[in-house]
Amino acid sequence: MDRRTVIKNLALVIGGAALLPSCVKNSGGTYIPLKNISITADQEKLIADICETIIPKTNIPGARELNLHVFVLKMLDDCYNKKDQQAIMKGMDEFNAMVQKKYNQSFGDLAVKDRVAVLTGIEDSQKKAAGAKPHGKRLKPQKNMNAPPLDTFYWAMKQQTIFAYTTSQFFMTKQIVYELVPGRYNAHFPVKNLKTV
Amino acid sequence: MANLNTDSVKQRTFDAIVIGSGMSGGWAAKELTDNGLKTLILERGRDVKHIKDYPTTNLYPWEFPHHGVLPNAVQEANPIANRCYAFGEDSAHFFVKDAEHPYVQTKPFDWIRGYQVGGKSLLWARQTQRWSDFDYEGPARDGFAVDWPIRYKDIAPWYSHVEKFAGISGNRDGIAELPDGEFLPPWPLNDVEQYFSDHVKKNYKSRHVIIARCAHLSKPNQIHLDQGRSQCQERELCQRGCPFGGYFSANASTIPWALRSGHATLRPFSVVESIIYDDKLGKATGVRVIDSQTKESIDYYAKIIFVNAACLNSNLVLLNSKSSRFPNGLGNDSGVLGKFVAFHNYSAHIGAEVEGFTEWTTDGRNPAGGGYIPRFRNVYKQETNFLRGYACGLSAYRYRQHKYDGVGANLKEGLVKGDLSPWYIGSHMMGETIPKETNFVALDASKKDAWGVPLLDISVDYDDNDMKMQKDYVEQLTEMFTSAGFKNINASTNHQAPGLDIHEMGGARMGKDPKTSILNEWNQVHSCKNVYVTDGACMTSTSCQNPSLTYMALTARAANHAVEELKKGNLG
Repeated sequence: MDRRTVIKNLALVIGGAALLPSCVKNSGGTYIPLKNISITADQEKLIADICETIIPKTNIPGARELNLHVFVLKMLDDCYNKKDQQAIMKGMDEFNAMVQKKYNQSFGDLAVKDRVAVLTGIEDSQKKAAGAKPHGKRLKPQKNMNAPPLDTFYWAMKQQTIFAYTTSQFFMTKQIVYELVPGRYNAHFPVKNLKTV
Repeated sequence: MANLNTDSVKQRTFDAIVIGSGMSGGWAAKELTDNGLKTLILERGRDVKHIKDYPTTNLYPWEFPHHGVLPNAVQEANPIANRCYAFGEDSAHFFVKDAEHPYVQTKPFDWIRGYQVGGKSLLWARQTQRWSDFDYEGPARDGFAVDWPIRYKDIAPWYSHVEKFAGISGNRDGIAELPDGEFLPPWPLNDVEQYFSDHVKKNYKSRHVIIARCAHLSKPNQIHLDQGRSQCQERELCQRGCPFGGYFSANASTIPWALRSGHATLRPFSVVESIIYDDKLGKATGVRVIDSQTKESIDYYAKIIFVNAACLNSNLVLLNSKSSRFPNGLGNDSGVLGKFVAFHNYSAHIGAEVEGFTEWTTDGRNPAGGGYIPRFRNVYKQETNFLRGYACGLSAYRYRQHKYDGVGANLKEGLVKGDLSPWYIGSHMMGETIPKETNFVALDASKKDAWGVPLLDISVDYDDNDMKMQKDYVEQLTEMFTSAGFKNINASTNHQAPGLDIHEMGGARMGKDPKTSILNEWNQVHSCKNVYVTDGACMTSTSCQNPSLTYMALTARAANHAVEELKKGNLG
């Protein structure tokens, strides 16, 4: 990462941190209207920080710039049942406690490399626990609601952040080209002619 | 009703009434109005105008509130609809919500319904194959149900008639058990599908892997342009309603056609309570409707009535049409009304990995879905320990394998890049089931819906024949895939309830003998000739081909028969 990018990222983090509290309601709730789960401003910030760690700004926009955490919250609120939501919330508490114990700091105060270490640590430990089973055909992270709450929380965050990113307008117009109207079917198409991205 | 006057009755009197505006009702309306009959089309749901009422049709994934995922609350509130593959955030508005239209499941049955103008023709999978005499002669040869009162030659010209108008893409394969039709150009098989097709041709006598035939305009003719439809654009977003009219739906085709004739009146929000039978005149005189919004009861009158409410609801209407002449439901002298309901056995599928063909892939999307294996079991003679047979859907595909490990810049890159996967091939079974008296629907004795109509009680299940057929499908496809050199073959069976195939048929079957059937060879109720039933309810047996094309052909044939009979004065 070059210096200019570091400075830009830093500015964004500071800017984001400065911006958030002004949007928070007096009650301490989020400014995003949620129906089924209740999220504090701190929790919303944590989710935004995790999203940005999963999909960081590089030379193209990351989670914060694409506002992915708003969509992630909407999915957590609308697309999980109550039991799963409770597991996710419990996992979020465990996540905070784990980070606090290990670093004596909150996730949001960690340097980027430590944030990455926290998340990959959960992912790697789970892979070991699973006996490093080979992946099935579909490699996408799936809902895994019978896992311990910390893992449940992590995979929900990862799955929904990836879903938010890969179905965002930015991704579907600039990173891949989603075609609403293909207007063709070539049944016999050379791989070498596929558009490279 | 003291305020009735002759003007009011006159306004409520038509030449013909069509109950239902979907796959078959749209065809009845089209054919009757083409012949100048003043026709009332009754639809229990709301109107869905072509294009205008397809709210999601042009939305990008990110424009949906949940990018296509249905909220948990919607899924939990609709366990039945939610089991349908097409029920999604882009199409949920075209499905009946479970709580709004309850029914009784004496045995588990996933009744998938679309209560709106166009019905399920907006949502169907659009596969269209003709039946042959191997199907129409099935019950007589194999000794089940009753003999069909028609043969292929009776319906062949009507297949042509509806195919030309609806637009069916396909290849002329020259297979006796799957007759060719009036085809628009087909969408070709991809390399792996073609390889398998060649392999089967070389190694199996009388088994075929052909291009799937489907109701899409690969190359529209003038008749399709005249309907306001245009070429299929390979979107594969059909369940949203197609802004191009690229596939056949009543909404894009038959209903607007009928309305443009000036002879049709479309009345949405019209729940049909019963068909009115006049004991003195000895015929049906009209239809009693409950306005679904005001709950007002209104009678409409006509010389002929077409029942196209979709299979099980047509049974319900007939069962609920009681009179002193027909105390057990209209036309039910035989006692078979509601009985001998059957469906299609979709209880197994199989997948495998394919080596090679790595230099090739596909580009764009294939609306036909790939290949189709016509029935090859028990075609020319009985050769297995089960009756009848199954057709198979078939498709091969590969996809970009993204990398989902870790977080950060590498993950971001992994979501865009990735090698192409090997080829995979998959198939699912579509089995004929045997109609039986023990598979039936009936009116619930006490429970009624919000409009005062008795709830339908459904008692339909698989049988031993279905399970033997399932086993055979797995064995045969495993063997064919193995001999083709496919690897990691993985067959699986499911326990999906009947109904999810959305091919329920029978209950008011056609037959030669009024003692054992409800309808004659023209789809007329044996004992009430001015009532025609031409949707899935009329089916004597189920074949294993998709049934919609046959409903269309039977409907067009029956409607033209009704017109002729009216001219002759035979229907009063």
